[in-house]
Amino acid sequence: MSGLKTTLADKVLLSICIFLSFYSFAYVKEAMPKGTEVRIEVDGKLKYTFPLNKDRTVQFSGVIGMTTVEIKGGKVRIKEAPCPNRVCIHQGWIESGAVICLPNKVIVTISRPDNSKGPDAISG
Amino acid sequence: MNKFPALDSLRQDYSEDQYRIAILASYALALHGFEALIPTPVPWLRLGLSNIITVIALFFYGTKAAVTVTMIRIVLGSLLLGTFLGPAFFLSLSGGLAGTLSMCITMILFPGLFGPLGISLIGAFFHNIAQLFTAYVLFVRKIEAILVVLPFLAVAGTVTGAFNGIAAKYLIQEIKKQAIKDR
Repeated sequence: MSGLKTTLADKVLLSICIFLSFYSFAYVKEAMPKGTEVRIEVDGKLKYTFPLNKDRTVQFSGVIGMTTVEIKGGKVRIKEAPCPNRVCIHQGWIESGAVICLPNKVIVTISRPDNSKGPDAISG
Repeated sequence: MNKFPALDSLRQDYSEDQYRIAILASYALALHGFEALIPTPVPWLRLGLSNIITVIALFFYGTKAAVTVTMIRIVLGSLLLGTFLGPAFFLSLSGGLAGTLSMCITMILFPGLFGPLGISLIGAFFHNIAQLFTAYVLFVRKIEAILVVLPFLAVAGTVTGAFNGIAAKYLIQEIKKQAIKDR
C-alpha cells in the first residue's frame, strides 16, 4: 500500500476536473442544437410561426394592444408593446429561450420544428 | 467440542478477506441506504458516499475486494430500496461498475501516482460518464437532455468526488493509526 498522501498528481487532476466542469457549460451551450423557429403565442394560442433565419418585423394585437416583434440576424426581440412595465422590451434580443409579456399575454419562443413532446427527464 | 464439526471446516474455508469484504460491504450498504434518505434538488444528483468505502477497500485489500464490495452494495442496496431491476438499478450498476473498474485500472497502471483524492475523482468521473451513457441508450434517447444535464453533473461529480476522496484519505489514515495501536 502506497501513496496515501495527496500527491501532486491528485492536485493536477483536481484542477483539470474543476476546469472541465466549468468548460463543459460553455461547450454545451455551443453544442446544443439551436432553435430554428420563432413561435408567437397570444393568450395561450399559437398565432404565428416564423423561421428564425429570415429577417422580418411583425405587428399584431395582443390582449391589451398592438405588439411588434422583430426577427433579425437569428435573434428575436419584442420591439414595442403596450404593457406598463416593459419587461419584455427590456429583455432585448434573444437567441434561445423565450420572451414573455405577461400583461399582454404574449409569448415569443425559439424552438425546433416538431419538438416531440415526451417526458423530459427520468427519475431514478 | 463442537456439535457441528462441519461448521469448523466451513469457517476455515472463509479467508479473512471475505470477512473484511463482508464488513466493508455492510458499511457501504449502510451509507447507500442513508444517502437515499438525504433529499437532493434533482433525483439524479447523489453524493456517492458509499464510494468512500470502495476507495478504502481498493487501498487496503486491492481491486478484487473493491469490485466485490461494490457489487454487493449495488445488488443488496437496490433490493433494500426496492429499485432492483428498475431504471435506477441499471444506472446505479453501470455507474458503480464503471467507477470502480476505472479506479482499479488506474491503481494497476499507475501504482502510487494518485492518492485517495485522485482515485476518487477518477471514479466519480467515469461513474457519471457511464450513467449518462446508460441513461441515453436505455431511457432518454435525446441528446439535448443529456447535454443539459452534463455540466451540472460534471460540477457535482468534481465536488462529491473530491469530498469522498478526502473523507477516504482521513479514514484510511485513522484505520492505519488504529491498527498500529492495536498491534
